[in-house]
Amino acid sequence: MKRNLLWRGLLILATILASVAAATPPQQKINLGLDLRGGMRLVLQVHTEDALRAETDGDMARLAQQVKDDSQGKLEIKPQRTGDTRILVPGLTPDAKTAVIEAAKRVLSRFNHSDQGDSVTFDMFPGDVTKLRDQSVNQAVQTIRNRIDAYGVTEPVIQASSNNRIVVQLPGVDDFDRVRKLIKNTAFLEFRITVYPKDGAHPVTREDLLAHFGGKVPDDVEVVPAQRSERDAGAPVPLFYAVEKRRTVTGRDLRNARPALGQMNQPIVEFSLTPDGAKAFSTLTGEHVGSGLAIVLDGTVVSAPRINSRISDSGIIEGSFTQKEVEDLSTVLRSGALPASITYLQETTVGPSLGRDSIREGLRAGIVGTALVVLVMLLYYQLSGVNAISALVLNVLLLFGGMGLFHSTLTLPGIAGVILTIGMAVDANVLVFERIREELRAGRTVRSAIDMGFERAFTSIIDTHVTTLISAMFLFQFGTGPIKGFAVTLVIGLLASLYTSVFVSRWIFDLVLSRRKVATLSI
Amino acid sequence: MRLLGDTNIDFMKYRKFWIIISLVLIAVFFFAVFTIHFKQGIDFAGGTQLTLRFRDKPQVDQLRSLLAAAGLGDAEIQRFGDESANEVIIKTAVAKGTEEGSRERIVNALNRFYNQGETGKIDLNQAGADAIIQALGGAAPGTAAPAAPGGLAVPVASPQAAVADALIKERRKDNDLFRDWNAVARTPGLTPAALATLRDKAFLGEYAVPGVENVGPQIGKELRRQGFWAVALSLLGMLAYIGLRFELRFGIGAVMASIHDVLVTLGLFILMRFELNLTTVAAFLTLIGYSTNDTVVIFDRVRENMRKNRRKPLIEVMNESINQTLSRTIMTGGLTMLTVAALLALGGDVLRGFAFVMTVGIIVGTYSSVYVASPFALLWEQLFGSKSRIRGEVTGTPPAGAKAAAAAGARSATAAGASARAAGSGGGAKTAASPPATPPGSRPASDSTPRPPRAAAGRRRSGRR
Repeated sequence: MKRNLLWRGLLILATILASVAAATPPQQKINLGLDLRGGMRLVLQVHTEDALRAETDGDMARLAQQVKDDSQGKLEIKPQRTGDTRILVPGLTPDAKTAVIEAAKRVLSRFNHSDQGDSVTFDMFPGDVTKLRDQSVNQAVQTIRNRIDAYGVTEPVIQASSNNRIVVQLPGVDDFDRVRKLIKNTAFLEFRITVYPKDGAHPVTREDLLAHFGGKVPDDVEVVPAQRSERDAGAPVPLFYAVEKRRTVTGRDLRNARPALGQMNQPIVEFSLTPDGAKAFSTLTGEHVGSGLAIVLDGTVVSAPRINSRISDSGIIEGSFTQKEVEDLSTVLRSGALPASITYLQETTVGPSLGRDSIREGLRAGIVGTALVVLVMLLYYQLSGVNAISALVLNVLLLFGGMGLFHSTLTLPGIAGVILTIGMAVDANVLVFERIREELRAGRTVRSAIDMGFERAFTSIIDTHVTTLISAMFLFQFGTGPIKGFAVTLVIGLLASLYTSVFVSRWIFDLVLSRRKVATLSI
Repeated sequence: MRLLGDTNIDFMKYRKFWIIISLVLIAVFFFAVFTIHFKQGIDFAGGTQLTLRFRDKPQVDQLRSLLAAAGLGDAEIQRFGDESANEVIIKTAVAKGTEEGSRERIVNALNRFYNQGETGKIDLNQAGADAIIQALGGAAPGTAAPAAPGGLAVPVASPQAAVADALIKERRKDNDLFRDWNAVARTPGLTPAALATLRDKAFLGEYAVPGVENVGPQIGKELRRQGFWAVALSLLGMLAYIGLRFELRFGIGAVMASIHDVLVTLGLFILMRFELNLTTVAAFLTLIGYSTNDTVVIFDRVRENMRKNRRKPLIEVMNESINQTLSRTIMTGGLTMLTVAALLALGGDVLRGFAFVMTVGIIVGTYSSVYVASPFALLWEQLFGSKSRIRGEVTGTPPAGAKAAAAAGARSATAAGASARAAGSGGGAKTAASPPATPPGSRPASDSTPRPPRAAAGRRRSGRR
């Protein structure tokens, strides 16, 4: 019996030490959530269809090239992208159709084909679609991480989430505009050939465009708004370019970009391309000498210089930029352009002062609540109340130790969770104590009343803990950041209370009983 | 010290009365839901919510008219936090074209009045590091950076950046709001020259924006759906666990009690004009766990007593068990309520809704574990008792022949008799205090018709163990 007590005591001591070790120093071990320490949390939607379209356009261009090469230039096809990942090649003779399918075997490995009459349709395999979507989200995560790292945030969290989303958490950052610009300046860059005005000299009005195309824009042409520069900020109507729908070269093909000065001493961006990008760019520009090359940044044409000659691996981006804009643009281009455009779904900024208020109020409520619980337990259960309170203290210690161990984050709802845990932790003690009282009333000795009390209350304690754990599980599943923090706090607190109320509190009783003969129990 | 002596209250006797009370409370809920436009938090409704801290006490009416003038007439404005904090929350709904937030619109609308005539200067109470560096005449971050791989230079190199950093730190210390230039001057490392530059290039705005929350319509919709499912599934989870650990009827009783707690609390919650948001839904989820937990203790005792005394009808076992666990029920509920009540009183505005749900929920949950859970378990037994009996027969006794039926009849007669005695004595004790109570014996007699299957089922079930 004595030995047993000793071992149990040592185990309890070990858990105490382990908790203390895991939780100290608290400033380092217990992470405060953004709602408490201040910071920004963003949920971004990656529009992966941009990446899909770009990939499909690239494959489409390769197909056309392959067909042309195979036939020594005799066969020219006019493929169109219909939908995000579908290529339609219309108007084919039976021989041409065979040639197209033959060429597709070599360049369109990600597509299956189906024939209808004089056309062939290629659809990307669903597996490849998913893969591309995931890839573009991961690439976006990486890109954003590069930019945030450059900004110098400590412990940023940038992770992909379901539905092609990215969650960004930046503790301690409250420079809303800066971060927003940094991330949002996604610089989804594409180079497109202008259709109208052909040389890209100047954007035109909507009416002008419609008049040019006779009221209906052709299928392979897209209308993209032009950047509203400082110069024509007063322009009464928005202006547009008509550009070719296909995009063969995008920001993904960039190797480097840096700010520079143009001929008129205006700020420009110089860029160079990867070998693959250079090849595609060279073909594109070679075929369209004399046309405008629309530089489309995040869905807006920033400039559309005329292509004077074939450009292969480097070029410049001109627009009406300020020096700062050119620098930022270079940065985002260099750190990797995003593979797809991004929108904000949710954005939370908490100033550190708000978090401080919350901590102060939470602490105040916690201290008062705990004091009330301690008072009632002492009044109601007297010396056994001391037992319960010792267990409670250990419980709180274990809770913080557990949080330190699992690197969980204390959030504002988490503080509520701690306070709630204090209230619920004594529940198990109450269960046991009430049972012991009952057994004592039934005429048992102190020793056997305690034994029976713990034994009989045990199933109830398990059941009550499991039911609460079930709801905490759904909480975790449901919640975003702060609520998850609450769920985690609750779960650790419940497990700790299971341990303290069953094991520790029992040990304290046994310890006291082993020291002296007790005829009555202060309960 | 003991809260209660050995009680012997006939809780089940007035169960119909209490069920009616509960139904009335739930009706309050439906009344609340359908007649009151209940408030949804920004996370569910979507939109923009700004927390503003003013230098001087803000006039809500004035803010309202300013926003209305800017076409933001539907904005909700409320005081927040301590009276002395001069804080206000402004909430606007998502409008087409403002899916990414209308912070700028709100700030611009307010600036027209609060910071008028300060064009061309930066607001030191809202500016970020970049703007301050530029105002101090420093180079914009990035220019000094020789293209480091991957990006923008961190603005620590220049002296201006160091000053901007110190200023922002100082501003944080001052609750994110410089009250006057003296406060600015206290910034460590700020030279008189830099201060002079700032006074020239910057002004101290009337307010700061320490909190911003933008929620797109899509996220709001998803969170609403997730919240609903989390609550529904967690109730199902409880049903499954208690159904497995105990019996289906107890699971039904416990879940009915939880639903009751959620509905009643939600009704009061809406009547009190609290705002439904992520945190309060979390509170409701926690409440489901807590209220079941409370119920389970009673059911645990019911199960134990059923084993101890196999002949006693369920209704009596329930009464006995509730009485035995009564002081426990009150203690645990009371203790937990103490802590959440402290949270309600002192925990601040953000957690107030949460604390309200928990405080009210624990009171209602304590009540429901006595007056809703057990009666529903009993009701389920009365309505679908035959099913449990069939289960009992499959696992226990052989199929009912004429002999078994006769035996069952005899047993049920004795069971009814026993219950008549018990209830009679209980009623008798009560009649001493309230003479016009129903004559002892008449109730058990009228009740005895549906009882036999219940008594039999209870017996078989316990026999199974």
